[in-house]
Amino acid sequence: MGIEIGAVKLTLDELGTRLQGEFGDDLVDLRVQEPDTLVARVDRHKLHAVAAKLKGLGEIAYDSCNFVAAVDYVTHLETVYHLYSYSTNTYIELHVEIDRDNAVCDTICDIYPAANWHEREAWDMMGVRFEGHPDLRRILLKDDWIGHPLRKDYVDLVENHPNV
Amino acid sequence: MARVMDHYPKLERFEHPNIVTTTADLVFNWARSRSIFPFTYGIACCAIEMLSSGFARFDIARFGWEVFRPTPRQCDLMIVAGTVNEKMAPVLKRLYDQMSEPKWVISMGACATSGGPFYDGYNVVNGVDKIVPVDVYIPGCPPRPEALFHGMLQLQKKIQKMSFVAPRIDEGDELALASLRGEGERAVAPAGQTDGRLPTNAAESQEVQ
Repeated sequence: MGIEIGAVKLTLDELGTRLQGEFGDDLVDLRVQEPDTLVARVDRHKLHAVAAKLKGLGEIAYDSCNFVAAVDYVTHLETVYHLYSYSTNTYIELHVEIDRDNAVCDTICDIYPAANWHEREAWDMMGVRFEGHPDLRRILLKDDWIGHPLRKDYVDLVENHPNV
Repeated sequence: MARVMDHYPKLERFEHPNIVTTTADLVFNWARSRSIFPFTYGIACCAIEMLSSGFARFDIARFGWEVFRPTPRQCDLMIVAGTVNEKMAPVLKRLYDQMSEPKWVISMGACATSGGPFYDGYNVVNGVDKIVPVDVYIPGCPPRPEALFHGMLQLQKKIQKMSFVAPRIDEGDELALASLRGEGERAVAPAGQTDGRLPTNAAESQEVQ
């Protein structure tokens, strides 16, 4: 019963080679980040397929989504997915570059239900619209908030502060 | 001196101090100030100090203030212990409105008083006094239980000065009369527009339109 953590003994290099063999060009710039993480860039149109395949990898499956983050690089936005594999006790980080003015990204919360609220937070704070998300509402701020406050060019409006 | 009863016939207060009010004031203020039921309103780290003050080491029960209630209906003191953000503000206002009179508010710590270290935060209300009237401010980040007790003793002094006697009101002091009827400053029309009658809220809203 259950998964024994670290049951599959593979070094990060071996794991990386194996993943590169499975995914080919879908994982761009796959590299090792010690002690326990693989990092790769993924095209935004391929993200959903890659995530689904990572979860269904059998004995080295990345079966848990730990975090979905969004980063504002001013020139573009990036969503970052931290996936974890219990069987190999390693992480994989997927960096997905998205357009800043038309910030759209595919949801992965049909694959990893844990991503649901993380994607809502990314929408709330960064304004990344996750297509296919079942309930993309703001999660921390008020529903009628104007703007996405963690963007670098965010301007706070008086309308957001009715009590002042 | 205007007779308050003329303007407010159902006023349940004496107009002048007498032997009844002095004694009643004494008894009621004694009871009120020594058996405050605080509202469990811990919303950040100040709440840890508030809880700590309830436990045996500091023992808030020495002052008779230990009955923390989770419902506003049974409380007469709201200790705002933590950062109030924009999403919490309407909830706080509503809970304050649900408390029964007489009621008091203690703003505990830097955040509740002014926004504190989060003053520039996009989602932070810079002081709970923008939403509800505050009686006592306690500085600190967070204040120790002793500081909370000091603030509570200040509030006790304030409560002990309350009286049943209606405040004296001079002839034509419509601001005070409106305040007595619970209408506040906004109900008072600009000078020169009154025709002997006191303005009402309805009249005021029509003027605005």
